[in-house]
Amino acid sequence: MREITIEPVTRIEGHLGIHASIDTDNRIVKDAHAAGAMFRGFELILQGREPSEAVMITQRACGVCPVPHATASVMAIDQTYGISPPPMGVAIRNLVHGAEQLYDAEVGVVNLEGPDYSEHAVKIFNPDWWDEAEQTRAERADIHGFKTIAEIMSALNPMEGELYLRSLLVQKAGHNMAAIFGAKHPHVHSFVPGGVAKIDLSPSDIEFYLTLLMHHVAFTKELVTASDDLLDFVLAQGYEKVGERPVNFASGGAFDDPEGYSAVYDEMTEWGRKRMVSPGIMLDGELVTTDLVELNVGVKEYTGSGWYSDDWEADVETDPAGNRISKEHPWNKRTQPKPANYGRWDDAYTWVTSPRWWNWRGDGRDHVIEAGPLARMWITAKAGIAPGSTGNSLKFELPEALIPGFKYSDKMEFEWKIPRMPNAIERIRARAYYHAYAASCMLEMVMKALDLLKAGKADVWNEYTRPKEGIGYGVTEAMRGMVSHWCVMKKGLIHNYQYQAPTTWNASGKDANGKPGPYEEAIIDSPITETGESEEWKGIDIVRVVRSFDPCLGCAIHVHMGDRTREHELLPFALPLK
Amino acid sequence: MSEELNLIWLEGQDCAGCTISIKQASNPTLIDVITGAIPGLEGLKLAYHPTLMFEWGEDASKVLVDAMDGKYDPFGLILEGAIPDEKKAGPGAYCVIGEYDGELLKLNDVIDALSKRCAAAVAIGTCASYGGIPHGSPNPTGAKGLLEYLGKDWRGGLGFPLICIPGCPPRPDNIINLVGHGVLAIRGVAPPPVLDDWHRPVYLYGATAHEHCPICGYYSEGIAPHKFGETGCLGALGCKGIMTHCNASATWMDGYGGCTHIGAPCFGCADPYFPDPPTSPFFAKAPATPFIVDTLKGMIGHMKMGLGRLSRRKI
Repeated sequence: MREITIEPVTRIEGHLGIHASIDTDNRIVKDAHAAGAMFRGFELILQGREPSEAVMITQRACGVCPVPHATASVMAIDQTYGISPPPMGVAIRNLVHGAEQLYDAEVGVVNLEGPDYSEHAVKIFNPDWWDEAEQTRAERADIHGFKTIAEIMSALNPMEGELYLRSLLVQKAGHNMAAIFGAKHPHVHSFVPGGVAKIDLSPSDIEFYLTLLMHHVAFTKELVTASDDLLDFVLAQGYEKVGERPVNFASGGAFDDPEGYSAVYDEMTEWGRKRMVSPGIMLDGELVTTDLVELNVGVKEYTGSGWYSDDWEADVETDPAGNRISKEHPWNKRTQPKPANYGRWDDAYTWVTSPRWWNWRGDGRDHVIEAGPLARMWITAKAGIAPGSTGNSLKFELPEALIPGFKYSDKMEFEWKIPRMPNAIERIRARAYYHAYAASCMLEMVMKALDLLKAGKADVWNEYTRPKEGIGYGVTEAMRGMVSHWCVMKKGLIHNYQYQAPTTWNASGKDANGKPGPYEEAIIDSPITETGESEEWKGIDIVRVVRSFDPCLGCAIHVHMGDRTREHELLPFALPLK
Repeated sequence: MSEELNLIWLEGQDCAGCTISIKQASNPTLIDVITGAIPGLEGLKLAYHPTLMFEWGEDASKVLVDAMDGKYDPFGLILEGAIPDEKKAGPGAYCVIGEYDGELLKLNDVIDALSKRCAAAVAIGTCASYGGIPHGSPNPTGAKGLLEYLGKDWRGGLGFPLICIPGCPPRPDNIINLVGHGVLAIRGVAPPPVLDDWHRPVYLYGATAHEHCPICGYYSEGIAPHKFGETGCLGALGCKGIMTHCNASATWMDGYGGCTHIGAPCFGCADPYFPDPPTSPFFAKAPATPFIVDTLKGMIGHMKMGLGRLSRRKI
């Protein structure tokens, strides 16, 4: 038995430590703890502000995936204010959101997770794979251009590999696309309640966007095929069980129908199902619901193993549709931070809370839920709502694109098939395929935006007057999974604001029933393939599992406190600048 | 070939947004820098960067411990994110960045040690510079920026003061320009950047977002609608460009975006007070003083230009 603490886990967003107990004789992980190590207190900073400010502030939880926060937040505020945006406003929000997903997917697969499977890593940690990789021909070499698996591994070498550097170059186009309609990225400034702040919208803006989108379309053909070849090879090295956990998933769905979206809570059920990425909950492999109202009511957030004391306030009893809301629902959540010693693994050990999904229409139990591209691809493929969804796969195609510097220009058909079980490798594969799917969704959205312009529906914002009281919920998908925001407004100001990032679900610690969160669940019982003496193990298999979730700890950690005093602390050397 | 120079990039109470920003820089690109393609900037080694580095766990923490022991000299220290007041956390910690040999590495302790050894230091983003979002009222963790943490009189090993690059995040090219400029200054190739009272490089932050604003002609004409999406100055919609020293209003990168350029008001994210008043409430109009000053300057300026029309041609 060996105890290992990995602090910090790098190549993720934020501060995360992993503590694991490894049975060295049987090369298997027996127990694991995920510890979020940084705290800022966002919801406290939000209290007493105007609800619209939440859109700008909550984005800053995460510089990697700010737009989903902006999207979920602006939806929550749309509902709180009771103002629906015009169709073009929704289309533009979708375009900015999609642009971010494109950059984020390739950075995740190639620059953050890729180095774990690079020549550099494999030669150190799994040298027995290398000879075989050199002998194994890459099946899809005609598309991505790498003759053997070893060549793909070399292309992933950090700071020098071909794929690594090209991905860094191509991802810039995602930020450019987001900046066209979002002003800047990270942290877009154009999302406002009732629509977007964009002046002089013209077809040429959309054309700029489309031009850059085609670079992603060209790159994704290489990305998906190279990932498929590499990941199939790694799976064949006995990697099926690494990072395996049950099929308990959530997806908030993404990319709204511009004409369908409204700020009315009850109508969420209907427009949620019109999303290009389907919303839903899966428990033990069964799709339980695709209803966003049902999804919202079932959310509970427990203190779990977090450094917080419980202090809930039953403020909201029912949702606007009349369903009873639990006292652990984020609309009611009140939590006080209670910092304590680091590394007490049988006590509180993390800054991340423990959200669980309560199957309120079904068995009435709380479930540990995983969010991420695997979850949303799985739910979209299973639900049969999206046009390419077959019940066990998701089919779509990308058009021809001849662009210098890219290796494959022909039209290409994609089919992402539901795997046997979720594991580390399938999470990465789903991320690569999602890159292609997001590109196909954005191609469709560009056409919808042009149609709206042609039909004279160029308005991007609807005027509103701020009401005094209101309640709102917004949900969408970040690259790493479901993002939800909740707002309760009283006297025109934020009374309670809560958000849950995907990593809040995924990195959650053990709950009161001792049930581990998804990272922990995936690491426990995961085999160790690392070579060398067990005393020298660096935990490559463990970090591969954790990185397969694409952690984003900045988002995950947040808090709300009851009492607040608002005083502006001047910096000691403040000058009368203004 | 210049002498090797290490960069140690720490992330405190951050969101990695500044890292994401520098990844989109164009002049030069991050790739130009890491591959050493630019004369004068070659030999740079990103010794520590939690979001990009290959190593993890003790191997990563060892870089910091070794840097404290001088094994990475000379190095430039870069901070992204704010620094919490760990005294407020009692027995716990608000920002742990590593563990080595059973000892926790808290951000504060690492900064204390490395700021004594580094050749120069740069704070990237509003959080690292002045506290930013974590410092927002009521400042739950007692967060500070590096300027307040080290003090205005702090000097690095080469005698340069701290350089701040505010913005949430700063423009990609601002960061890479300044890091490049800093490296050239450390190597004695270029003079160090001239800084203002808030330690911002004047050549990037001397002018306000309003002065850089591509649609400020509407301001002069008095066209300021109260509706988003309507063409005109954004002053009535809460734009803080008139008081915020920033160059992101014209373009974000490569001519795309730019806050007021596309019609999104400036929310003052590069301002030392962000996200507190006077930058917030974000949709409330900016304070009167800068408008009055600007109006007077404008009147005097227009008169001067009009009278200047009468002067004789000199060249």
